[in-house]
Amino acid sequence: MVVITTKKPEEEVFEALNNFKVKNVLVVSCGVCAALCQTGGSEGAEEWSAKLKERGFNVTNAIVSDDVCDNRVMKKDLRVIDEDVKKSDAILTLACGLGVQSIITVLSKTHPKIPVFTANNTEFIGETERIGRFYMRCQGCGQCLLNETGGICPITTCAKALMNGPCGGMVDGKCEVGNYEKDCGWVLIYNRLKELGRLDLFAKLRDPLDWSDIGHQREVVWR
Amino acid sequence: MEVDVKMTEVKSYSKLGEALAKGDFILTGELEPEKTCDLSHTIEEAKQIAPYVIAANVTDSPLGIVTINSMAATHLIQKATGLECVWQMTVRDVNKLGIAGMIMGAQALGIHNILSLTGDHTALGDMAESKPVFDLDSATLIKLVREMVDKGSINGYEIEDPPKLHVGGAANPNSEPMGPEILKIGRKAEAGCEFIQTQVVYDIDRTIEFLTGIRKYKVPILLGIFPMKSYGIAKGFDTFVPGVSVPKEILAKWKSVKKDVTDKKQKKELYDQYNYELFKPFVSELRKKNLIDGIHCMAVHYPRIFPKLKDIIGA
Ligand code: SF4
Ligand code: SF4
Repeated sequence: MVVITTKKPEEEVFEALNNFKVKNVLVVSCGVCAALCQTGGSEGAEEWSAKLKERGFNVTNAIVSDDVCDNRVMKKDLRVIDEDVKKSDAILTLACGLGVQSIITVLSKTHPKIPVFTANNTEFIGETERIGRFYMRCQGCGQCLLNETGGICPITTCAKALMNGPCGGMVDGKCEVGNYEKDCGWVLIYNRLKELGRLDLFAKLRDPLDWSDIGHQREVVWR
Repeated sequence: MEVDVKMTEVKSYSKLGEALAKGDFILTGELEPEKTCDLSHTIEEAKQIAPYVIAANVTDSPLGIVTINSMAATHLIQKATGLECVWQMTVRDVNKLGIAGMIMGAQALGIHNILSLTGDHTALGDMAESKPVFDLDSATLIKLVREMVDKGSINGYEIEDPPKLHVGGAANPNSEPMGPEILKIGRKAEAGCEFIQTQVVYDIDRTIEFLTGIRKYKVPILLGIFPMKSYGIAKGFDTFVPGVSVPKEILAKWKSVKKDVTDKKQKKELYDQYNYELFKPFVSELRKKNLIDGIHCMAVHYPRIFPKLKDIIGA
């Protein structure tokens, strides 16, 4: 599983930093997902350090962390460079949206006044075909239907996330959204279930997703 | 216009519902309100087709291009003309909670037919930045209506004075592959769909194959037809409506009218005649095979063709 990120336009990032009148920046780069997406990793850290310096910022340090989104790892990694954190008036993360929020959580007691920024846009949870080809295949609906849909997710492969497709927008197995270039998810499901000899599952009328729990602040807490 | 349910054995809440229950072969039309708050043009057209149709659909921002709200338009057209309407409702823009409220609102406004549609994706329209909703889909909206009407409840919670609406769904005989579309109609039937309106189709063999496939679900079928008012419209339809193609020989025939006939009146008469000649055998054959229960004419802005269509259905 990878959280897929893309780079924000540079100017947008600089604008955010300037808006907070930042001078001294600590760069925290993700060594896992963002590294794979080429929006973080050691290369990203070097690239952003250079860019920041070029624009007159002082880079207090630039670290690559294996799990920016894991509070435990982040706590350890930031403790080691606490002197640099103290000298920074902002942290720029090269990670997904989880990265920023993990750092804020971790520093909430020791450095609550340091703003944390992101250089990336978080796109989706993705499957990797190869570097530079990532596909959304799950939106974490919390009520996984894959056991009934031949292992193909209707929430993500159908442009309307329909529970009872295909819709009238399907032409020659392709979807109306995106100029008939992408496969219609419900035709993929049909073909797969046909192959498995289980079209009875396709014929089933499915209820809408239940949003009573997934429509708001979600958490998994079991201990 | 309204049928008192307590008085009749068959539950009919509208003329359309009544005709379907009786098994009459029916003709319905379509009205397409535009991006204006003034419905006078649509109302004028409604008046023109009213003598010929049992009801007319009122569209809900087709192609995702925003127009006046379809429930409001349905109500106003019914009020101004007395023509019964079928309120088209897509699941694109409103969530389940909102739609349930609208269904009660529709009842309060005297609307008694609803056509459940998925709706073209917001990304295709002129407010592409809108959030696509699709909380329900075209089958689960049917299920919701039937629960509200038949059980008088939503999620088991009682509605004091429940709505009385008939609900229909759409089917696309042009679907390629056809298999998933047929099974989808089965789901709609299971959800309680009371009538099916098909997408426009010109290929008779394909139509027979498809309709035979869905006939087993025992839902009355209205065949969608699109008489073409001019060569320009025929060509546009062929080019711009995805998945529907107008056969070459038909296009050629329409083109010849445009090219060879100069007199305006004669031109109109010829187009009308050709439409008649095209659809009469098409409809007869399907009727003979007992595959359809009526026709739904989607040719908006072509009211003068309706007397001929009435003739086709032989009423
Ligand atoms: S159904 Fe799709 S979105 Fe839901 S959990 Fe399964 S893969 Fe993810
Ligand atoms: S064409 Fe297929 S994938 Fe596209 S919105 Fe319709 S059902 Fe979903």
